[in-house]
Amino acid sequence: MSARDRIDIDPPYDYPAYKSTILRSPKQPLLRVAPHPMEATGPVFPRKFVTDSEADLTTWGKGAPLGEKMILTGRVTDEDGAPVRNSLLELWQCNSSGRYAHPVDQHDAPLDPNFLGQGKVLTGDKGEYRFVTIKPGAYPWKNHPWAWRPAHIHLSLFGNAYSQRLVTQLFFPGDPLLPIDPIFNSVPDESARQRMVCELDLEHGIEEVALGYRFDIVLRGVKSTPMGV
Amino acid sequence: MAIRTPSQTIGPFFHVGLKWEAGEKVAFESPGGRVILTGRVHDGAGNPSADALIETWQAGPDGRAPVPGSAARVTGYSRAATDADGRYTIETVMPGACTGADGKKLPPQIHVTIFARGLLKALRTRVFLAEPAAIKGDPLARAAGPRVGTLIALRDAKDSGTWRWDVRFQGKDETAFIEI
Repeated sequence: MSARDRIDIDPPYDYPAYKSTILRSPKQPLLRVAPHPMEATGPVFPRKFVTDSEADLTTWGKGAPLGEKMILTGRVTDEDGAPVRNSLLELWQCNSSGRYAHPVDQHDAPLDPNFLGQGKVLTGDKGEYRFVTIKPGAYPWKNHPWAWRPAHIHLSLFGNAYSQRLVTQLFFPGDPLLPIDPIFNSVPDESARQRMVCELDLEHGIEEVALGYRFDIVLRGVKSTPMGV
Repeated sequence: MAIRTPSQTIGPFFHVGLKWEAGEKVAFESPGGRVILTGRVHDGAGNPSADALIETWQAGPDGRAPVPGSAARVTGYSRAATDADGRYTIETVMPGACTGADGKKLPPQIHVTIFARGLLKALRTRVFLAEPAAIKGDPLARAAGPRVGTLIALRDAKDSGTWRWDVRFQGKDETAFIEI
């Protein structure tokens, strides 16, 4: 937890309701140590690291993917409100049937030859970003009886400093699976959980083509240091 | 102050979105001494973690944060997924010495971020590419105390450019992770 957090924002490592944490959560407390000078710096991604087509997940195949087309827009800022510019944002998700284009995913739902489920962009001058994709489906997993993940999109962000690195998940408003998802509910604070739920945003959709959803992302401030150091 | 967006696990399917071409080969604009950093990631039962993702960040040979040139690549940063044996391998160069807050030179170290199914937030630490005697004064080595051995890569006896470093999430030799 950062010294500037008044509440626990992030989930704990040890959260047995999500079974995979049991053998992978460290038992020793994290060490507190003065920041290394490299932690305030971070990798720089050249504009050419991404291509424009990587913002649109619906144009990789010979035809349109199945599912509900959606436009995902938002801004990336830090907790002081400063825009996070020119920063890599990567996205991955399952298809509209709830199946990932991944060899480990054995869920008996159809693959979509027109949907790979990967995208990346660099944020703009105001920290803004925009993806075109389809709404992912829910899918069952083996964590507990009747376990189904709510529809979600994985997001990976670098910010502008190594200390800002974040991987999170985006969820959809009103999803009845949210209250029973241990991963979503591993975040202890309700207002922090709501940070992971996007909002319907019709204006940024495309009339008669795609629904708009808005998802603003807030990274740690660069000035944050571990508590007590 | 705005509430931060919380961390969530990368899950088992991250390869779909986080694969970089030659991501395990760290690019730099200037040449340096070649280093292979390799090892295995183990869970608390001693089993290999086949769905972990290791990322590294480090100073260039000049001790400064690397900045890319005209090529469409990132410099100083790597990303390597573990294989079925839990093994990762990163090709990089020996990081140059950075200067700490007290004005002293810090021993060569690589910043490591570990993601995996079952990790609701990333684990962060640093690994030293130096003999134990050379890191005694480092603030992290002091903070780690008796656990410092978990943060020291071992130079291969036959190939001096290869350093071995394993990660253990739990157990007797649990890796010392740090708060960032």
